[in-house]
Amino acid sequence: MDFSLEYTEEQEHFAGEVREWIKENIPDGLVNFRDPMKKTREQWELRREIGRRLGKKGWLFAGYPPEYGGGGIGSDKRFVISREFEKVGVGYPPFYDSARLAVGPILSLGTDEQKQRFLPPIFRGEVTTWQLFTEPEAGTDEANQQTDALRHDKEGEYFIVNGSKIFVGGIYAPPNQFLLLTRSDREAARHENLAMFLAPADLPGITINPLPLFVSGTLAQVNGPTADSSPAIKHQVFFDDVRIHESFLIGGDRDGWRVTTATLDVEHGGGQSAIPLENTAVKRFIEQCRSNPRIQRRLKENPQLLESVVDIFISSEIVRLWGLRNAWIADSGQRAPYVGPQLGLYTKIIGGEIIESLARVLGPYTFIESTEWSLAEDIFEVVQRAGLCFAPAGTPEAQKIIISRALAIGREPRR
Amino acid sequence: MKLDLGLSENEEMLKKTALDFMRRDATKEVVQNLQDTDTGCTTELWQKMAGLGWAGIIIPEEYGGTGSTLTSAGVLLEVLGTGPLPGPLFSASILGSSIIMEAGTEEQKRQVLPAIANGSQVVTLAMTEPDFSWEPGAIQTKVSHSNDGFTLDGVKLFAYDAGAATHLIVAASTGDGIGLFLVDRKSEGLSVTRLPGYLAGQTFEVKMDSVRVPQAALLGENANNLQALESAITRSIPVLCAYKVGGCQALVDMTILYSRTRVQFGQLIGRFQRVQDMIIEMVNQLDAARWTTYECLWKLDADRPAAESVHMAKAVTSAAYWEASTLAHRVFSGISYAKDHPASFHTRASRSLYHYLGDPAYHRQRLAKLLTGV
Repeated sequence: MDFSLEYTEEQEHFAGEVREWIKENIPDGLVNFRDPMKKTREQWELRREIGRRLGKKGWLFAGYPPEYGGGGIGSDKRFVISREFEKVGVGYPPFYDSARLAVGPILSLGTDEQKQRFLPPIFRGEVTTWQLFTEPEAGTDEANQQTDALRHDKEGEYFIVNGSKIFVGGIYAPPNQFLLLTRSDREAARHENLAMFLAPADLPGITINPLPLFVSGTLAQVNGPTADSSPAIKHQVFFDDVRIHESFLIGGDRDGWRVTTATLDVEHGGGQSAIPLENTAVKRFIEQCRSNPRIQRRLKENPQLLESVVDIFISSEIVRLWGLRNAWIADSGQRAPYVGPQLGLYTKIIGGEIIESLARVLGPYTFIESTEWSLAEDIFEVVQRAGLCFAPAGTPEAQKIIISRALAIGREPRR
Repeated sequence: MKLDLGLSENEEMLKKTALDFMRRDATKEVVQNLQDTDTGCTTELWQKMAGLGWAGIIIPEEYGGTGSTLTSAGVLLEVLGTGPLPGPLFSASILGSSIIMEAGTEEQKRQVLPAIANGSQVVTLAMTEPDFSWEPGAIQTKVSHSNDGFTLDGVKLFAYDAGAATHLIVAASTGDGIGLFLVDRKSEGLSVTRLPGYLAGQTFEVKMDSVRVPQAALLGENANNLQALESAITRSIPVLCAYKVGGCQALVDMTILYSRTRVQFGQLIGRFQRVQDMIIEMVNQLDAARWTTYECLWKLDADRPAAESVHMAKAVTSAAYWEASTLAHRVFSGISYAKDHPASFHTRASRSLYHYLGDPAYHRQRLAKLLTGV
């Protein structure tokens, strides 16, 4: 066994190249905010620009096929890219985007023409994509889609889409395209009645409204930087007699659930591996526990708080170790389908617990942002993210269902 | 970055040999019959294990062992933990031999290590006392100089696997610090008595009433071997953790199988989400234990700083084994309380090993000290 993540000579050489690239391509004026709500449109555009430059270089979708504009490089080099971006405080990839979810199904189910049309703009960072799955009546019950996409009576190559999506998107609307799950047949059986599109976001009949949330955050990423954590804003998208051409359909009219499952495998932790980075926020928090006199005083006055420090340390270590395990499993071509959702589940649960532990150790300082009064200022980021950790990519309860199936609890294992 | 969490070819072979051994020689019936014995092992089993080179697995070749890594020892102990096969292999061949390697003089190593490796001597540690603590500072056993050696007086309590030992390493307060004495089990004035209690496992009371030992019984050249003792314990802990990982794995495997066969209310119990929740929690406990343990073993083998990892692995793994066996009983319910049910063997082991080399409370406290200085 070897758990070491130090760069090899080859990686060190590549890291020099990445550092050089970063120096030349990270635009002046880029600011990293602990509260993503402070991110202006201008700042967001700077991140988009980094994305486009990364895409041109082949490093935005670094592990994907070069014939469509991907980088075609292995996990050892992808790890270097993400680590070097982390060192300069920029998330990798640098902006919120759901295109990653669409890529797998396009590669496996798309036509050659679709691959040529869809993949290069995604890989080059030219377009942004939102995932449009969740609906008012299709939350955890994802298959219960009510947004209809029915073939036009006369112009059969067009679908007419009516319905609405909720809790979708990133900070600034509109994106360029939607990965859109719909119901293509009102009569057909559940799971056989769905269709998936990768469709332009500016078609007539589409309305996008902001939906403010009470706290920022994306996934409960307690280890490593996320891409640009999303702010306390999501969107509702309404479709009124929107015409979508069949060339935007991925797979067949009734393949929607197959495509969804493929995207969810990625969302729930499958797909191309990413080696987790050190949890820098937790690391700095521990350092603060050792050095900040106010925290030291609290710890000495009430040694029970030490239990909470240990809880935070151990759970973030388990997240790190399971992330390494998952990366190793994916890279060595093994199959262990429960490990992705297991990490997702655990990250969410401890995300919530970490805030509670932090609140015990730091007191009300836990919840204030970087000011002269901060005790451990980087913690604000973790608190923000973990505060909104249960819903994205499925509730913990939904993830337990997926894990149960993957482990074949109460059923014969698939051969 | 060399990230590779798989077993090496040698480790795979060792694992296969160990699995075959468990299937053939350490069946459920064998494990059950060993539960209430003083030794936790039979002579026949012990000789077989020694014959496979396991008694000297971490002892360097120059001292008659196979000179394997701690990770290899972990792989072996993990398989034995699936039984769970009791006996002194960990206590003697991992912990005992580590203490000799860390504390002994060259001459002592040449004398004792080959005997441990070939299975003829079983050397276990007697450290904790009625004021139970793994802090060496708590040791009160007295030692006094006599003309030709030393005299030991005191009581050791919860001495693991002392019933199988031919020799005990007795930690005693010398005045200059903690001295380690290699004491023949048959010494006059020494008595070893198994502590009663269904969940006590193979733990013993060791009474020393003016036990006289020769000068050569003192390990090393000075009367303070505290650092050597701590270092040996540190290196041994994750191997003990691997044994518990094996226990967790066996519990998970048997419980998932049961979820696929047991029917209540007209359906497989594994279809009930509350049952699924318990099994998922078992798997989480197992995987937390497994990866904290193996990273720790790797760090020690690679000579990297490992203090935090050691405390974390022991805290996580002791709690995980306890919890996994509790949850197994909740899923199996009635049947698992039968004396011949393997879940009950694991429950006993998870309880009796919980405190061995420090319980979660102890290791979490030490970890907190490392992290915060408080």
